[in-house]
Amino acid sequence: MRGIDELDYYELLEVARNATGAELDRAYRTAHDTYANGSLAMYSVFESRDATEIRSRFDEAYRVLSDAELREAYDAEIPAETKRTGSDAFRDVVDAASVPGGAEMGHYEQRELAGFDPVEQLSPLDAAVEEYDALEDDGSGEFDGVRLRRNRLFRGYELEQIADVTKVSRTHLRNIEEENFGELPADVYVRGFVTAYAQTIGLDPRVVVPSYMARVQGSRSTAARGGFLARR
Amino acid sequence: MGGGKGGVGKTFVTANLATSLARLGKRVIVVDVDLEGANLHTCLGVPTPQRSLADFVSERVEDLAKLVVDTPVPNLQLIGATHGNLADAQPSHLRRVRLLRGLRQLDADIVMLDLGAGSHASVLDYFLVSDDGILVLQPEPTSVENAYTFLRAAFYRRMRLAMVGHGVRQLVTMAMDQRNERGIRTPLDLLREIEAADTAEGHRFVETMRVFRPRIIVNGVRTAEDVKLGFSVSSVCKKYFGVEAEYLGYVNFDDEARQSVSMRRPIVDLRPDADVSIYLQRIARKLLGLPSTSAAGGRQDAGVPGYPSGGKR
Repeated sequence: MRGIDELDYYELLEVARNATGAELDRAYRTAHDTYANGSLAMYSVFESRDATEIRSRFDEAYRVLSDAELREAYDAEIPAETKRTGSDAFRDVVDAASVPGGAEMGHYEQRELAGFDPVEQLSPLDAAVEEYDALEDDGSGEFDGVRLRRNRLFRGYELEQIADVTKVSRTHLRNIEEENFGELPADVYVRGFVTAYAQTIGLDPRVVVPSYMARVQGSRSTAARGGFLARR
Repeated sequence: MGGGKGGVGKTFVTANLATSLARLGKRVIVVDVDLEGANLHTCLGVPTPQRSLADFVSERVEDLAKLVVDTPVPNLQLIGATHGNLADAQPSHLRRVRLLRGLRQLDADIVMLDLGAGSHASVLDYFLVSDDGILVLQPEPTSVENAYTFLRAAFYRRMRLAMVGHGVRQLVTMAMDQRNERGIRTPLDLLREIEAADTAEGHRFVETMRVFRPRIIVNGVRTAEDVKLGFSVSSVCKKYFGVEAEYLGYVNFDDEARQSVSMRRPIVDLRPDADVSIYLQRIARKLLGLPSTSAAGGRQDAGVPGYPSGGKR
């Protein structure tokens, strides 16, 4: 057993070394929920100072592993995988007879049903959990309001949290997601809002902002043309 | 089947899992070890059994096998806990040791023990003697708190049993008091202390921890958040106790389930197609390491009324 600070980032997030971006996001979101202040699963076990430390470890782990370059550098730095994880832990010989008191306390058979495989979920109710998991965003294509929103939910953020961090009002944020372009201020402001939004939820603003702004400008020029024609 | 808190559905889940396991062809004996609140027989539709564990506790019967009664479900038998001595329901220490040994010798593929509430040693030992310790909890603060209390108590008791030296055992005992003077707050703190005191004991501690694998069922689930609680508890177990606590599954909240108790029949028999039955059968299959798909004849793909069915799987 090792302390939180002795686990490598993969062990910390409970993902495999070759975890995909979507798996990382999922693991991070679970961690985020689990160790949030006052979380049902955590509050009676960890003291709040421990929880704060754990959260910052998770944030750091996710920051590094979700960035391809940082991740590569990190992988080169950590020792090759030695620790059993997930189902491997079960295949690892669990020979209770060799454990003191094991014989009298009963033995644990090796079993295949091992660690929970988050991919092989337990539907039907999982449908609810997975509703917004369906998105595995590869970062290509157009970013519209719906896609931003799905990414936000997928990464476990509430609008309030983004408003807190970015100081952009919830109304503006909602209008961005719902593409109520008419309600939004001038392009230069919207550009700033979307940049902050993307950064907060961990999307790359260099990809998101041009894509989204093209939609804003397209819509506005159409509206303007419409207005002009109407006036004629 | 434990879980600390009363009223979280341990008996309901036990009765239904046992029934499901029997239907899957296993010879199952369920044992009500809740000597002060026995009602497993009721959930299984067995009229108050005339023979019960109380006869063993009071030393009227020596052979547990003689207490086994049939249930309406083929392959499923019961040792009830009715007719206990109100003045002295719990067995003496020696009697309890005999009982624990006897339970392991019952002639069945699977023996399931339905534990009473609380985290007393008399409850914990049933949990620790088992091959699989399953915690049933509900998505409520009171239940989750008590489940952790139970787990903590079980963990330290197990660790103390594994330690050989007197001094190290004393350390474990000290750590069980959360306000201990050494400032041992967590299992990890304790491990550090033990390793410092004696490397071999430290090794034993780690090995014992590795085979201490409680499993989790969340009962009374209403929302996706409730479902996720199981993953979170599992993660906390790993980070705090350093133990792998597998999330076995969840059972949705269902009024029909309550009705099934009034009708004194397991819901998996009464309404095998109900959502709640499907979840229970799923857990049973998972316990046996069977694929979950064939249980409900492909019904999983049909979606379940009352829950969003989207998603890609």
